[in-house]
Amino acid sequence: MSKINLTLKVWRQKNGREKGGFETYTAKDIDTDMSFLEMLDVVNEQLTHEGKEPIAFDHDCREGVCGMCGAVINGQAHGPLKGTTLCQLHMRNFRNGETLVIEPWRSRGFPILKDLVVDRSAFDRIIAAGGYISVKTGQAPDAHAVPVRKEDSDTAFDAAACIGCGACVAACPNASAMLFTAAKVSHLSHLPQGQVEAPERVIKMVEQMDKERFGNCSNEYECEAACPKEISVEHIARMNSEYRQAKWKAKH
Amino acid sequence: MGSLSTYFTSSVGRKQIVAVTGLLLILFVIGHLAGNLLIFLGPEAFNNYAKKLAGLRPGLYLVEVGLCFVFVVHFFVTGVLVYENYLARNTQYGVNAAKGQRSWATRLMPYTGTLLLVFVVYHLLDFTFIDKHGHRSILADGNSYGLYGVVVNAFADPGHSTFYIAAMMALGLHLSHGVESFIQTFGFNHPRYTPMIKTFSHIFALVISFAYSSIPVYILLNYPKVP
Ligand code: HEM
Ligand code: FES
Repeated sequence: MSKINLTLKVWRQKNGREKGGFETYTAKDIDTDMSFLEMLDVVNEQLTHEGKEPIAFDHDCREGVCGMCGAVINGQAHGPLKGTTLCQLHMRNFRNGETLVIEPWRSRGFPILKDLVVDRSAFDRIIAAGGYISVKTGQAPDAHAVPVRKEDSDTAFDAAACIGCGACVAACPNASAMLFTAAKVSHLSHLPQGQVEAPERVIKMVEQMDKERFGNCSNEYECEAACPKEISVEHIARMNSEYRQAKWKAKH
Repeated sequence: MGSLSTYFTSSVGRKQIVAVTGLLLILFVIGHLAGNLLIFLGPEAFNNYAKKLAGLRPGLYLVEVGLCFVFVVHFFVTGVLVYENYLARNTQYGVNAAKGQRSWATRLMPYTGTLLLVFVVYHLLDFTFIDKHGHRSILADGNSYGLYGVVVNAFADPGHSTFYIAAMMALGLHLSHGVESFIQTFGFNHPRYTPMIKTFSHIFALVISFAYSSIPVYILLNYPKVP
């Protein structure tokens, strides 16, 4: 077990209306086996002792499955490692004496609430617009009642790995939400249960995404690189073609 | 909800308009290059080709108006998208660092595109809306060589050639992203073929920009004994 010292430049912002700015803190004697969030906990403890406001950040499971955590570290969403959420990023990936600039996701679609916490309810509204299937409630159906092609179930599963953290938006040079929306569209449209509502789904979800004032995709693929679940931009291509076909075939 | 009008206002729909117009422009770029390369066959072949093209009027006007329309749509729609993208990141990061393979060609799309627009206007004033048998068509031997002479005289000037070559490098950069990008935007992505398409996109861009540039380079190196 070794310990490191770091300089942190953290974005501090009281609320959505006030201007924010960077504050510098030192993180002393950080155990390299700690996660990034545990490191922030240590810093917050110290800030509390000093009578200062601790740094607000989102988190929940701390095991990389819930999608709550996330910050941009030295310009990279969820930090330098690929396929990792911030809570699963360990301090052994940083060198003693390093300076880390820590910022919230920055997008018009994700207003900053406080410090590193942003409002991601835009994603909930995109899901509500069409990211569902209609089924009869009652007893759980038999697991194998509906056969699914292996390739399709694999692709749907890859897309379903999306935890909705918003790193794709944060990493996109245009703050576009295409990877998130595409993952949700593709997840359902690869499964037989998702077929009934498929054309409406893609239209409603794309158009809700636009309403949330995210940027437009320009195929830079930074989203895929930043995605902690490594979701492929293949899903974006699929959504592009699904959307085009749904629109040109629509009768009303 | 299903109406086509919202296709033309949606993010995905407008991207696809950029992709369709981009593809049409690529077809033009290929055709135009094929014609231009005839200059290597000498004044007769080149001027004959120019004459044959002119002989296609008035049908040719239709094609030209269409091409102009495609160009304006491509420029206008990309302009709106780029502006929206700029607004979408409402506060800037203190540190910017790529995590993926974001290339210079991709970053520079709006700038290479704008340079192309400036170039096209200049190019039309330079070679199209001119007197093809005036003083600019007269070569070293004192004879008029028509459009062929105009081109040779233009490229004999290193400044003129440099600007032309710079614009072709911008075209190359624009296409190296543009080709792979329109395929993704239309909705094709495949784990096996997409890497091949990317390689093709780069090679295609290189071939097009070098082939266009070969004309000013050739003239610059061989002037004044060109015809
Ligand atoms: C008026 C000059 C031009 C401007 C300002 C311009 C600008 C742009 C921009 C900004 C993009 C990226 C759009 C985005 O990612 O959202 C783009 C894409 C593209 N451009 Fe151009 N361009 C111009 C001329 C051309 C020409 C002459 C060609 C053909 C040789 C061309 C072919 C393409 C292609 C194929 C794309 C990719 C479409 C896609 O992303 O799906 N452009 N252009
Ligand atoms: S806290 Fe749940 S994914 Fe990081």
